[in-house]
Amino acid sequence: MIRFILADLRRLWLGGAVVILLVALATALGVAVTLQERSLRLGSARAADKFDLVVGAAGSETQLILSSIFLQPAPLPLVDGAVLTKLAADPRVAWAAPVGFGDSYAGYPIIGTTTSLINGTTTGFADGKMFALEGEAVLGAAVDLSVGAEIKPMHGSAETGGHTHAGAAYKVVGKLQPTGTPWDRAILVPIQAVWHVHGLGAEHGHHEEDGHDHAAEGEGHHDEADAHAGGEAGQPEPVAHASEAQQPVAKYAFAIGSASSKHVEEEHHGSIDPDAPIVETFGEGMPGLPAILVKPKTIADAYRLRQEYRTGATLGVFPGEVLTGLYATLGDAKMVLSAVAAGSQGLVAAALVLVTVIHVGQRRRQIGALRAFGAPRSSVFLIVWLELFLLVALGIGIGFLVGLGAAHFGAQMFTAKSGVILPVGFTREDLRLAMILLGFAAVLAAVPALLAYRQSPAQALRA
Amino acid sequence: MLPLKIENLAVSFPGLAAPVLSLDSLEIAAGSRVALTGGSGSGKSTLINIIAGLERIRAGRVFWGEQNLADLSEGRRDQWRAANIGLVMQDFHLFPGLSALENILLPARLSRVANAELVKRARTLFETVGLTRPDQHVETMSRGEMQRVAIARALLRKPGVIIADEPTASLDLESGEAVGDLLLSVAADAGSTLIIASHDQRLVERLDRRLSLKSGRIVADARLGEIAA
Repeated sequence: MIRFILADLRRLWLGGAVVILLVALATALGVAVTLQERSLRLGSARAADKFDLVVGAAGSETQLILSSIFLQPAPLPLVDGAVLTKLAADPRVAWAAPVGFGDSYAGYPIIGTTTSLINGTTTGFADGKMFALEGEAVLGAAVDLSVGAEIKPMHGSAETGGHTHAGAAYKVVGKLQPTGTPWDRAILVPIQAVWHVHGLGAEHGHHEEDGHDHAAEGEGHHDEADAHAGGEAGQPEPVAHASEAQQPVAKYAFAIGSASSKHVEEEHHGSIDPDAPIVETFGEGMPGLPAILVKPKTIADAYRLRQEYRTGATLGVFPGEVLTGLYATLGDAKMVLSAVAAGSQGLVAAALVLVTVIHVGQRRRQIGALRAFGAPRSSVFLIVWLELFLLVALGIGIGFLVGLGAAHFGAQMFTAKSGVILPVGFTREDLRLAMILLGFAAVLAAVPALLAYRQSPAQALRA
Repeated sequence: MLPLKIENLAVSFPGLAAPVLSLDSLEIAAGSRVALTGGSGSGKSTLINIIAGLERIRAGRVFWGEQNLADLSEGRRDQWRAANIGLVMQDFHLFPGLSALENILLPARLSRVANAELVKRARTLFETVGLTRPDQHVETMSRGEMQRVAIARALLRKPGVIIADEPTASLDLESGEAVGDLLLSVAADAGSTLIIASHDQRLVERLDRRLSLKSGRIVADARLGEIAA
């Protein structure tokens, strides 16, 4: 019987191939949507996994997470530097690290941070070592540079019309192991270097007195800072040069904070001291920060800290809760796409029924002859059923593979752009989907099989 | 080697006033060779379908030996036909993509009765019908060869009855004659009852008894002796 079916399928290979193709495409569409959405959810959740709590200035939670964890460039309102000092000293905090951004090099964001954040969020170095001096930089795994390279930071990014900081350059001393997060695409430098490039924070050597002044300045113009941030949010193009155009003085407003930098004198910036040792004990008088990443000691601490830093000028956020909100939106989009996929699958199913009913009609004589020569009805049913079921099952199998391939391709494109590794893979849920589809195929194939079963051989032969 | 006895058979189709076939009584002795003639619409094909168990019998009785076909369900009729009737048709109904041998064995395989013995018999039959390449695909054969394969298939399960419906109509004169010879000789060897519906006068003349149908009734029933007389 199998040989008969195979011979039959060989004879009808073109029609069979079209059926397989139709089923495969319809299946692949649905599978790709499911896989892509799931991998996006998993990937973003994993990317945010290492960051327990993010503290920023009051504003958009989503923007805070997108900027600090997914490193999407956008101007953020600044949180008072004193908040970091307080957090770092808090006994419930394992470590708290500032992130400063706004510069880039060759399309990679340059992130100012501390060694504790790097140690706390990565698995170690693939090459080289941690930065120890102000002029040193550490690369994320996906940055296409090697140890020893020199990096000239560019303010903003090339696409947004940034310009290179004259006279400032970092030397790459280490490269991290991959983490599967957007931070793989980042160039990590000491936060104090970012401040100094932008003429902020304490002058090295005598940072305490100097820092005091800046702190006072920062304090005095706090209201302005808020107002400015609000104004920027309303602008259609929230990028660096947009605000520069409006406020020519605030040349380094991007992310580092317009209010603080507004009062920075020209002679302040472009002056990093590449050989200065990095200082990570943050005292008084630090510049404002776009975001602080906090690792609480326990989960209870995390909730308490989030509660405490949700009042007034600061905003404590769990990345997870923001992502959950985003997933809800993602879920809606997925539902629409799934409905489209289901619709196309329904169309294909209807087309298949049509094709097979016609096909059985055309084969009436053959089926009648089989019966006439003594093939039992059950065999005839099985032959017609198996032929169609095999085709559809093959189509479903290929569809799953094509869907997987498409999702992989999409995930790779996404990873190349964002650094977020999207884990594409099948789960038990997909097995269920496959079972449902196969079950449906079995029922579908039974329609022509039943037609063949019911047909009288004498009538069929007369046709 | 089964005798046929038909009583009060009437076959009508919905929408037709007169029955397409109406036989009060017909008997065919076991092992006899009968020709069935008649124009189209004479009820010839219907009679073939009825005695082959392809059509349901609604009125009357059709006995092959002790078995009344009217008593059998459709599935049982299929089973009975597979075991007792060897069918040869005008259009061969061979299945492309399969070899000649596979075609001979296909109905038996689909009925799950093909064993080693039957496969051996298939090979022997293949030679009996005068063919030499059992692995040749049927679509590459000549029409005469195809009908030989069909005859071998009909004989596989040693049927007591061989029914041939216009076996030579789609063949040229020469192969038609050869196929006619073959049918007569295999039926004689097995002692099977042979019933051939045909327009082929040369084939009909070689049979013992001729039944002529017209409008669903037997209008002539001539036996060899009477013809000769």
